[in-house]
Amino acid sequence: MTAFLSVISFTSPWVLLSLLALPILWLILRAVPPAPIRRLFPAVTLLLGQKDKESVSDRTPWWLLLLRMLAVAAIIIGLAGPVLNPSRIQAGSGPLLLVLDASWAGATGWPATLEQIDAQLVEAGRAGRPVSILRLTEPETPVFQAAEAWRGRLPGMVPVPWQPSETQITQAIDVLDQIEEDFDTFWFSDKLAYPNSARILDTLQSRGDVTVYQPAAPVLAMVPAVYQDGVIQLTARRSEPGPATAVTLVAQGRDPAGVMRILHSADAVFEENETTAQVELALPSELRGRITRFEIQGQRSAGAVTLTDDSLRRREVALIAGTLNREGLELLSPLHYLTQVLSPTADFVDGGLLEVLPANPDAIVLADVAKLSPGEQTALVEWVEQGGLLLRFAGPRMAASDLGRDSEDVLLPVRLRSGGRSVGGAMSWGEAKGLAPFPENSPFYGLQVPGDVTVTTQVMAQPDPNLADRVIASLSDGTPLVTRKALGLGQVVLFHVTADAEWSSLPLSGLFVEMLDRLAVASAAKSRQDSQLRGTTWEPLQVMDGFGALSDAGNLAGVDGVKLISGTTGPDLQPGLYESGKQKLALNVLSEEAVISPAIWPSDVPIKGQEVNSETPVGGILLSLALLLLTIDVIASLALSGRLGLAKAAAVALGAMLLVPEAQAQTPEDTEFALNATHELVLAHVLTGNAQVDDVAGAGLRGLSQTLFYRTSVEPAEPFGVDLERDELAFFPLLYWPITPDQPQPSAEAYVKLNAYLRSGGMILFDTRDANIARFGASSPNGRKLQQLAAPLNIPALEPVPGDHVLTRAFYLLQDFPGRYAGTEIWVEAAPVDAEQIEGMPFRNLNDNVTPVVIGGNDWAGAWAIDRNGQALLPVGRGYAGERQRELANRFGVNLVMHVLTGNYKSDQVHVPALLDRLGQ
Amino acid sequence: MNAALTLRERSEAEASRLPPLLARAEHLAGTVLLGDHGRRRSGLGDDFWQYRPAQIGDSRRMIDHRRSARGDQQFVREREWQIAQSVMLWVDQGASMRFASNKNLPTKGDRARLLGLAISILLVRGGERVGLTGTTLPPRRGNAQIIRLAQAWSGDVQDDYASPEHRAMIPRARAVFISDFLGPMSEVELALTKAADRGVRGVLMHVLDPSEESFPYHGRTVFESVGRTLRHETLKAGALRGRYLERLAERKEALQQLCRATNWQYGLHHTEDSAQAALLWLYRALDGSLR
Repeated sequence: MTAFLSVISFTSPWVLLSLLALPILWLILRAVPPAPIRRLFPAVTLLLGQKDKESVSDRTPWWLLLLRMLAVAAIIIGLAGPVLNPSRIQAGSGPLLLVLDASWAGATGWPATLEQIDAQLVEAGRAGRPVSILRLTEPETPVFQAAEAWRGRLPGMVPVPWQPSETQITQAIDVLDQIEEDFDTFWFSDKLAYPNSARILDTLQSRGDVTVYQPAAPVLAMVPAVYQDGVIQLTARRSEPGPATAVTLVAQGRDPAGVMRILHSADAVFEENETTAQVELALPSELRGRITRFEIQGQRSAGAVTLTDDSLRRREVALIAGTLNREGLELLSPLHYLTQVLSPTADFVDGGLLEVLPANPDAIVLADVAKLSPGEQTALVEWVEQGGLLLRFAGPRMAASDLGRDSEDVLLPVRLRSGGRSVGGAMSWGEAKGLAPFPENSPFYGLQVPGDVTVTTQVMAQPDPNLADRVIASLSDGTPLVTRKALGLGQVVLFHVTADAEWSSLPLSGLFVEMLDRLAVASAAKSRQDSQLRGTTWEPLQVMDGFGALSDAGNLAGVDGVKLISGTTGPDLQPGLYESGKQKLALNVLSEEAVISPAIWPSDVPIKGQEVNSETPVGGILLSLALLLLTIDVIASLALSGRLGLAKAAAVALGAMLLVPEAQAQTPEDTEFALNATHELVLAHVLTGNAQVDDVAGAGLRGLSQTLFYRTSVEPAEPFGVDLERDELAFFPLLYWPITPDQPQPSAEAYVKLNAYLRSGGMILFDTRDANIARFGASSPNGRKLQQLAAPLNIPALEPVPGDHVLTRAFYLLQDFPGRYAGTEIWVEAAPVDAEQIEGMPFRNLNDNVTPVVIGGNDWAGAWAIDRNGQALLPVGRGYAGERQRELANRFGVNLVMHVLTGNYKSDQVHVPALLDRLGQ
Repeated sequence: MNAALTLRERSEAEASRLPPLLARAEHLAGTVLLGDHGRRRSGLGDDFWQYRPAQIGDSRRMIDHRRSARGDQQFVREREWQIAQSVMLWVDQGASMRFASNKNLPTKGDRARLLGLAISILLVRGGERVGLTGTTLPPRRGNAQIIRLAQAWSGDVQDDYASPEHRAMIPRARAVFISDFLGPMSEVELALTKAADRGVRGVLMHVLDPSEESFPYHGRTVFESVGRTLRHETLKAGALRGRYLERLAERKEALQQLCRATNWQYGLHHTEDSAQAALLWLYRALDGSLR
């Protein structure tokens, strides 16, 4: 009982006293009869004067009373404000300092930490203790304020993506020393050890009691991904060994549409008592190139994220040499050394220049290519201007050509002097030249120049005014070795020596590799050496916050390359993406070798978990319960007094509402269409997408419908335009299909429908509307279209309408079938071959199906078409003859519909004389 | 002008109420085949009765030439004697009739009017004169009278319980009273004895709602008359049922007693039953009384 009472408390317990009134309420409710029902009853005259035998009315039944009692009790208890898990009062008094690690390690549990801090602030507020908050990662002089003031600032506190450094801790101790009075401390630790934490603990303990709050879950982190031997190695670490668990590592990046999504995920397993989990990803290079970050799923901290940079990306390089016909002499190939240098870190794009350009490689290397065709030149310039890197090597061909001689070639950084020069050869004075140190503005600045690199032959640059700007490496005598110029967004780099070892020993040296790396032809970020980064400045592109989210770096200062890889992260070296030239480097929270270990506290420091038994006010639940009980009471009362009809109706309505959506499985549009199409006979035309043709077809069918209405017992309703893709065809006896050259080919499903329609007795009237000038050949656009449209249809053999076809006499006697055009033949299903004319009969014996198609080109709809006033829409012929033609067109329409509706009834009438004859006998 | 317009409008609205009742009444009446209604003797009438040789005293005009031309003798065409009776109806228009316990049932007043109009149509077809008791609509014949009757019944009376109209009864005529007879018995008694005094015989049609017959109520209830003039509150409606039914039986018994005393006929109709059966009964009852 006490345990229960400790779990629940009341904000205003005095309200509970009103529970004492419940028995009185019981008595009152029992005494008061239920309200009378008023009923109309004409026979009340017979009731007048009847006395009730008992003075007590029907009692309210006990269970209804109980229900009401429960409802009232729930209201009273609810209003008393019961609270589940009420917070216990903090021990102690006086100022309270909350110390927060606020590093990335606590970011995942940050909401819980904030909640706990908030709970402590609330308690401190109740106890009237002044509070201050000190974040070790961003120490500021603590100001003791009312707890409420801090509560408002809590949401603004976010973890930072680094651990408290030594300077920060010294700073923190300084500010703590400035506080005059003693204070108690609650330390919200992130559960991760960092150096010098003991110092600050000592300081705090000297001022008052220290209590440590830390989360129970171990800290998970990821070290940077390593690309090795074709696989990406991902490593996750945890702060303390424990039972075997698996974490899911996901690789995120932009898909081809530019949307961030999870490109790959893999499970890494922490074995029991191990703190490291590894998984290897073998991904296609295309996918690998898209990955921008890896993270541990479910963790929301900067430590659980590693950003990727160029190190994962294999560059695509196209190597093109001037001469490719030296079979077998691999070592003599000008590309041999380049291939050797680049193959560990780059993928090669093979093919001719025009073939590789659409693949958009990162760099194109032209080794001793002097002459480019104008087309190649244009395409290459365009590619470079869009950000490509063109790397050219000189060679005998270039030296011998006139390339860039008189004026600067657009694809060369400098003008060249003819011939080039040789130094240090057998036939020349002087000796081979070494390399001069790289100037400060050179991308190669900081690289060590080995002494054994010599150049014997080179192509010479013309001393132009802008030459000095373009030289990025030169020989010891000051002649340019490597020149570069920007072209659009890209650049053109020329090595004035060959790519093989013929002119210099440069390709044989390690410097060559580093130079290519600096030029971002190769990417060798997998092992960043100080030497590679010396002298470079990296500017932050995006920085991470403590939760691992990237944001724009804004105008943060650039960082020296060496510091970038050696320094520990902090406020002046924030984790994120850095950029120098075309190279990108990711600085992650943890380095590859980093190990994380749990914070260890002395035994005299009480440690509390992070579980907050949050106060849960349950008053609302009780009040809802009371409402529910009262609702039941309403229904029960209605049932008791015989007025449940209302409730039943409501229940039925509710049920109906629930059931209605299921009942309408068939879409209402479909049903409506079917109803409209079938409540009367309806003619239909196929919608071609050409509004004018569709309008005329609709008007034509309307005219035909009117004609039928006036002249025959067929009384069609307004015609329909039918979308073959969408609408059901089975409702229409006749489809009029005008052919336009540009109408879309129906889909396969539509053809299935059309064939089913033809099989089940429908008729399609194809109208090419071009007077059949092509005689259904392919020489008119409409004719061609008709052939395309009709090809997938199941159409039997056709023939021109024979003179004894039933179409000629289904209603009117017709000889020809004009529309707006006259005189061309129309085609119908061919008569069976064995049909023959019986002696004395005017027609052949042709009682068979309705022809499934009628094909003609007379533009019948045009002749039938009427407007809303019943006036002919389009002219037919001239004068009286034209009107006669329109009349014949109408008659054809009538015959056609009659033929569709009655089949070969008229043909059967041929037998009437014979039948009569037989009956007579 | 305006008043005339509104009058016209109102009368149109009123008239629009008539056709359904008329049509239903006609429909109902159409289900009853008219029996022979002649006097079985020659006299004034429309139907052929017999040819008889012309006698002295017959006017020339009476000779039937078509028959006489067949021979030398002259014949007179005699018609069957038909005599028109006057039937006076009283249909309770009181508020108590505007009651139906269930919305699927017609109100008692509706059923009473339907029966009244249908029997009127039948009687008019039979050549009788039909009218209302009292002075408002004396008996006449012809279809126009039907419309007048329908019009007369289209209004409602505000009184809770109307008492039978017994003034200006034509001696030896027939009368039909259709009501729920829940009002004071003394009025009915008065009307019937007065009618009996004048030699008027007829039919009492007792129309009741099924709930008035079964009293299916429970619990604390306030019963009110339709016009809200009378009310009776009970704490236990269920306990009243037995005594109510007793009283209802007494009322019926009293009515039957009255009918026996005055040589009227008593019929009971519940609105849940078919109107046709009631009409048939009514017609046969009247027919018998007419004989």
